[in-house]
Amino acid sequence: MLTIENLSVSYGSVQALRDVSLTVPPGRVTAVIGANGAGKSTLMRTLAGLVRPRSGTVHMNGEDITGMSPEDIVRRGVALVPEGRSTIPDLTVGENLRLGGLWRTSAQRNASESRVFALFPILAERRSMRADTLSGGERQQLAIGRALMCGPQALLLDEPSLGLAPLIVTQILELVERLARESGMAVLLVEQNAATALRVAKTGIVLNLGQIVMSGRAADIASDEQLRHAYLGY
Amino acid sequence: MRDLMLRAPGSRFAIHAAVTVAIWAVLTWLNGSIEPQLSYYLALAAMYATAMFGMTILVGLSGQVSLGNGALMAVGGYVFALTSMKWSTVPIIGVPWNAVWSMVFAGLGGVIAGVLIGALGARLRGPYLAGLTLGIAVGIPTIVNRFPALLGGDEGLKLIVPYPEGGYPEAISQQEAAEQVPADDAFLDEFLVEELPADSATSAPADSGDLLTPEEAVSGVESGDLLTPEEAVSGVPTDAPTDAATDTALVVDVPADGVDAAAAVGSDFVLQQWQASVAIAVACIVGFLAINLVSGRQGRVWQAVRDDPVAAAVVGIAPAGAKVSAFVVSSLFAALAGAVLAQILTFVGAGAFGLGLSLSLLVGVVLGGRMSLAGAAIGAVLLVWLPELVDTVSGDRGWPDQITNNAPNLLYGLLVVVVVLLAPGGIMGAVSGGWARVRPQRARETR
Amino acid sequence: MDTFVNFFLGGFANGAVIALMALALVLVWRSSRVVNFAQVGQAMFTSFVGLTVVDLTGSWILGLVIAIAAGAVLGLIIHFLVMRPVRRADSSGAIIATFGVLIALQALAAMIWGGDPRAYPTPVSYSGITVFGRVIAITPYDIFVIVAMVILVLILTIVLTRTKLGLSMRASAFNPEVARLSGVRVSRMLAAGWIIAGMVGAVAGVLVAPTATLSPNSFDIFLVFAFTAAVIGGLDSLVGAVTFGIGTGLLLSLVTGYSDASNAALVALILLALNLWFKPEGAFNHHKARSV
Repeated sequence: MLTIENLSVSYGSVQALRDVSLTVPPGRVTAVIGANGAGKSTLMRTLAGLVRPRSGTVHMNGEDITGMSPEDIVRRGVALVPEGRSTIPDLTVGENLRLGGLWRTSAQRNASESRVFALFPILAERRSMRADTLSGGERQQLAIGRALMCGPQALLLDEPSLGLAPLIVTQILELVERLARESGMAVLLVEQNAATALRVAKTGIVLNLGQIVMSGRAADIASDEQLRHAYLGY
Repeated sequence: MRDLMLRAPGSRFAIHAAVTVAIWAVLTWLNGSIEPQLSYYLALAAMYATAMFGMTILVGLSGQVSLGNGALMAVGGYVFALTSMKWSTVPIIGVPWNAVWSMVFAGLGGVIAGVLIGALGARLRGPYLAGLTLGIAVGIPTIVNRFPALLGGDEGLKLIVPYPEGGYPEAISQQEAAEQVPADDAFLDEFLVEELPADSATSAPADSGDLLTPEEAVSGVESGDLLTPEEAVSGVPTDAPTDAATDTALVVDVPADGVDAAAAVGSDFVLQQWQASVAIAVACIVGFLAINLVSGRQGRVWQAVRDDPVAAAVVGIAPAGAKVSAFVVSSLFAALAGAVLAQILTFVGAGAFGLGLSLSLLVGVVLGGRMSLAGAAIGAVLLVWLPELVDTVSGDRGWPDQITNNAPNLLYGLLVVVVVLLAPGGIMGAVSGGWARVRPQRARETR
Repeated sequence: MDTFVNFFLGGFANGAVIALMALALVLVWRSSRVVNFAQVGQAMFTSFVGLTVVDLTGSWILGLVIAIAAGAVLGLIIHFLVMRPVRRADSSGAIIATFGVLIALQALAAMIWGGDPRAYPTPVSYSGITVFGRVIAITPYDIFVIVAMVILVLILTIVLTRTKLGLSMRASAFNPEVARLSGVRVSRMLAAGWIIAGMVGAVAGVLVAPTATLSPNSFDIFLVFAFTAAVIGGLDSLVGAVTFGIGTGLLLSLVTGYSDASNAALVALILLALNLWFKPEGAFNHHKARSV
């Protein structure tokens, strides 16, 4: 369980997040949606330790991880799949995967690796090829696989749909949903593509100008037309 | 104050002129009222300042770390030496040669070299440029070995310093030369080499007597290569002629001896004062040029390109042009400084213009403050003064030579690192706190 | 033809040393985007340390081992000095700091060991081998140097491609953010880069010292050679550094052989200038050297 309380982040004089509080429960997907610049990516980067919050706390399973370095946070079970190109093209697929969770015992890592290969069989096939030979969808699978190699209890997915075909997005997100359900992992999904995100998520949070304007059951948010018009633009 | 000056370019120009003349007057007065030894240091400091004004522009304002300026000083020094030795009339124009022409041609040589290096170097990112200019600093001085007949090879060229009319030590000993001390800007016109007694260069006893043989001079240059030239130089005047044979006390002993000879016959002409007056005049002229460039539009262009070439291009500045122009200006200054150094040393040689000199310039400009011309001047003084300070301290404590001779460089190296780590603006930056304004911290992402 | 072959063979050993020095530059560049101009200063300093050990113990190998250890320590220290301005995005500062370190190391070495050139012993003979009654230019020591280089490159390759440390270092070099998110302590990997480079440089120093005499700034010229080789190789590429290190050594050996040694620096400069003019990104690189 990832618990966020009164989190505020600012870049210089610009406040990117204001008093954000939410919990990400295990075993399901929680979607954070909102327009461009709503602070979604800032939230994710702050949770992963890439950005230091100005105030507020983040707890993982009761442990305060606020202000920790990314290296330490990932060791406490919070793994981020950052937006965009988050694989390393100069390394092979296998190396990209092995990079995740190098601190873990080899037994743990082997177990994670077989799970990832079971989840994304294409990665097993392409194992010894350079990551830049992969297609966009495969690369996103690799990025998620790398995060899973860290053995996370909370997985943060930042815009996995970016630049991918809708069908592939649906496939990936459904996989993630199943993963959360079966392994009891807490998944926080940031998406600009609200419809897709709300379809796989149990809970939804709408972020606007750095503030939470609504949170509730994903289905309710998806059906709230007024909200959709006001914040999601469709 | 600054804003006021920026708003009125004409008045800014006038203020700069007034300040420059004031500085020149103070330095000239100082030069006339101190010991010859101190004049000698003054000459060195002015020479360094001349070169380092260019470093401020190149390294500080335009952000291009270059080690090539020592080699560019060699260009100026050799052009000065060759033209003053070989020409009796200026080619093409046909007017009688004098030392000012040599300075002009030295500057011209610097500009040409600056265009060449700039055209190649201005396109390069920091470390590539630093590496290329490192190659220049190491590689270019070896050119002298390709043309030993012309450039003197490893032994370098001993040059006849153009003294003011009748001001040559031996000549003075025969004349009553009370009014020979040059006092104003026009002095450059006065020192025509042809007016020297034709045989003075070869027959002056003090001149050739204590001179090292070329072989000695060369071996001295090479084994003492670690010492940056200023150390080799600054160790000298304090040493009596008895020290002339020690390896670090090369070439520069010659003028010192010359002065002794002049002093012995009771002349008022003091070589070091003359050298210092030349160096001060050049430094003031160059400083005046530099301050007008830096405080005007061009200065802002250089900084804009340094901080963000893309943004500069968007507002209509050609980044490559700005970077090349910084090279050309700094090369011009370096070449003029090289010509002055040639006159101070009465010698040009690869050893005097090696990597050590380039590194000294970098050290000086970084310690003084790489963002300001005043920093360059402070750095120049520091380069001359620090070895003296070390010498004094070590003399008191009785340190062995091996420690004393290397302590200044150790200090320079450590100070450079400390300055970069703790006070990137150098002494001037620490004084004015200007660094914070120049470069705001970008620390939003954690590290 | 005979002379050509001799110069060529002699160039290999020369090239092996330049390759190692270039490798050291590349290792630091990959880990922290800094060209460590103090690298040859470190190599010079550690060679003096090695020489002192050889003088005291008589053991060449022990000298090498201690020199390598000293290289690691120096690399770590200098990493701390130089990386701070880099974090401040003051790239000029980082370059200047490396030169400051170079100046300080040379002065310190001159203080401790004096400015006079010293001879470094060789573990094997340094005189020409006789083949079919003719003396050829390659010596047992040259062969020793080449073999040592090959072994070192093999070890490096294995460390970088087959170990967790190597994977972490490469990931940190290519994409520090993803590396951190994967749990790699990137700042330690930067330090590791400087340490390993210091060790490689130390080996290069000890290998070159017998052929070039050791004095506080006798290695300056190798900085130019190694930088040239590293840049032509792409500055990011270990393969490039080795290939063009050897290539540069061969070329310089021919130049030195057919004209004279003082031309080497000038030829290296011309090589570097031509490369930066026509192909500034180097032969094995996809990053940009030009800024505008």
